[in-house]
Amino acid sequence: MRKNFKIFSTITAVLSLLLSSALVTTSSSSAADKKPAAINVYLIPSPSADAIKKLAPAWTAKTGIKVNFTEVEYGTAHQKALLSIQTGKGEQDVVQFDNTFLAAFANAKALTQLDAYTSASKEYDMADFTPALQHYGDFGGKKFGLMLSTEPFIQWYRSDIYKSLNLKPAKTWNEYKVNADAIQKSGKAAGQLLGYGQGSTWWWMQMIWSFGGKLYDAKFNPTVDTTEAIAATKLYKDLLSSAPKGALGFSGDDVTIQFVSTNIGQILQYSGYASGVFDPKMSKNSKNIAVTSAPSGTVNAIELAGWNIGIPSDSKNKTWAWNFLEYMLGKTNAPNFLNAGAAAIGRTSITTNKALVAKNPYLALLSLPTSATVYTYPSLVTWPEFDKVSADALASILSGKVTVENGLKKLNASLKIVLAKEPKR
Amino acid sequence: MASVGKSSRAPVAFSLPAWILIVPIFIVPLILGLYLSVFDKSLGFPQPISFVGLANFQSDVKNSNFYSALKVTALFMAIAVFIQIPIGIFLATLLHSASKFASMFRSSLLIPMLLTPVAVALMWRFMFSSELGIVNWVLDKLTLAQPDWLGNVSAAFFAVAIVDSWQSIPFVVLITLAGLAAMPIAPQEAAMIDGASTIQRFRYVTLPLLRPVLLVILLIRIIDSFKLFDIIFILTRGGPGTATQTLSMLDYNTAFTFLATSRAAAIGVVLVAMSLPLYFLWKKVISVSS
Repeated sequence: MRKNFKIFSTITAVLSLLLSSALVTTSSSSAADKKPAAINVYLIPSPSADAIKKLAPAWTAKTGIKVNFTEVEYGTAHQKALLSIQTGKGEQDVVQFDNTFLAAFANAKALTQLDAYTSASKEYDMADFTPALQHYGDFGGKKFGLMLSTEPFIQWYRSDIYKSLNLKPAKTWNEYKVNADAIQKSGKAAGQLLGYGQGSTWWWMQMIWSFGGKLYDAKFNPTVDTTEAIAATKLYKDLLSSAPKGALGFSGDDVTIQFVSTNIGQILQYSGYASGVFDPKMSKNSKNIAVTSAPSGTVNAIELAGWNIGIPSDSKNKTWAWNFLEYMLGKTNAPNFLNAGAAAIGRTSITTNKALVAKNPYLALLSLPTSATVYTYPSLVTWPEFDKVSADALASILSGKVTVENGLKKLNASLKIVLAKEPKR
Repeated sequence: MASVGKSSRAPVAFSLPAWILIVPIFIVPLILGLYLSVFDKSLGFPQPISFVGLANFQSDVKNSNFYSALKVTALFMAIAVFIQIPIGIFLATLLHSASKFASMFRSSLLIPMLLTPVAVALMWRFMFSSELGIVNWVLDKLTLAQPDWLGNVSAAFFAVAIVDSWQSIPFVVLITLAGLAAMPIAPQEAAMIDGASTIQRFRYVTLPLLRPVLLVILLIRIIDSFKLFDIIFILTRGGPGTATQTLSMLDYNTAFTFLATSRAAAIGVVLVAMSLPLYFLWKKVISVSS
């Protein structure tokens, strides 16, 4: 009986192994898409998109698969991408999107979950990213987007002006203000510039986080009228006195344009602008610009932004789409990607590469310190509306139409209506 | 001709090519827009859409941004009607009576009209720059106040109005000039013989004779100001805050930024409903012209 049982167990185990290996083979072969003649890649004009287009022929040479590109300007890109994916026709195989739309895309089930791909890929190598960066494309604990660019807020300053006034790069917001006032008083340049026009919310929330505040609580109740938020907003407004004329009309891009084309002592801007700022053809101040970390308040908060890229849920060539992304954004190609003009991806292998850091000193700042609290754009489906409503309210506060306290109180009430639309999860 | 007149199918046949274009590019989107406006479609939410009746319209009406956009749209329309048209008529009358350099001025008037609004707005955006712009440089030389054109709430509104006027007044001038050129001389001469002054001749002879042309200008300028979008999009994006956000801008933001398709469709339906009175103006144009 015992012997029979042993024989029975052995046969069962062997059969199970055979069956499971057969199943695995079947499933993996069905998952592997048939090699297509071409894949379609949906991009939004940016240095990263240009680099992808530049390096795509090398992938085509390797795989024999042609890459077709569709580029759509930022303003309508996300709406068009969502519409295309929701038709379910599989028109695109790879899609670039702004991190601010990650929640909307993921919530609309427009993206393929990438955890299985990333965890199985040695070439992509998730361990090459610091923990803060590993989850950049996550929504609800699942990965839907890869990091296409790593763009924390950093401080950019004019080393020539700093030297002439004997200033040191600010480590705190108070020091930043002292430097700004000193530069402004000297008459050599405008003291500083933050984003005060379109996109003002990005700078404002960095300051709120620096002061220990939050935009909303765990139950999605807005918290922009707290003591911390008021203190942050007051300093944000105070700094306007040392900003150049017209600052209230400057968009996020204008902050960089003004910095490289006029005289401004220091700015806070995303690191992704580095290629333009340090390019002598685009920046008259390129040789006199240095970078350092963003100032901190009561908290060393770092706002992290950057593009995402993923695979649409309706793609018919997911395996090859992943192959394309793995090649393009993998560890091996990362230096080429950077050298092709893309905004850097903060892989540890990049931020610690001495040759690359010597050439691009800002890369060292992409290795976000573990001591800092890293904040990404709020993971809200309603974020674009939250952003616009906040920017509209900030315009009233900055122009002095309302006081900081009253403006934030009113904004908090408006955001309550916006956040009420947020899906419960 | 007789056989065509007798056939009841002839009018249908003649208008068919127009209908082939109008139905897919106008009627179908209009019906789809109406359909979407009573559902709760939003691109960021995957659940099946459900019928919500007039909820989107109610939500629009409750939104303070809607009234602010309505006010901004109405103000731009008022500027078009009460400022641009009178200035255009005045300039046209001057050009019509002036013989020297008139043809040169007429040709130069075409330039703003030939440019695309996006290019015009980009050009003016640089010119309005507080630090680098020529507008404030000139004001500085004249020792006048230099406003923060695109950053100040009131100045931004005037900046948009100036750019729109720069591009639209030449249109008013040219159409009015065409009307003046086609006007019979006899009534003017009769008024002169009767001893009418220049102002009297303009008030009692020129203006009534120009009425059909002026109604066309009025109709076109109202429609243009109602859908004013591209200049604002490039110049201010509706800002600062909501200072220059028209209903078209609000609709764009709701659809393309907030991804709220049904709410945007509801705003679109309201825009169509608001433009319906223009039909009566158009009827008036037809009756006066004929």
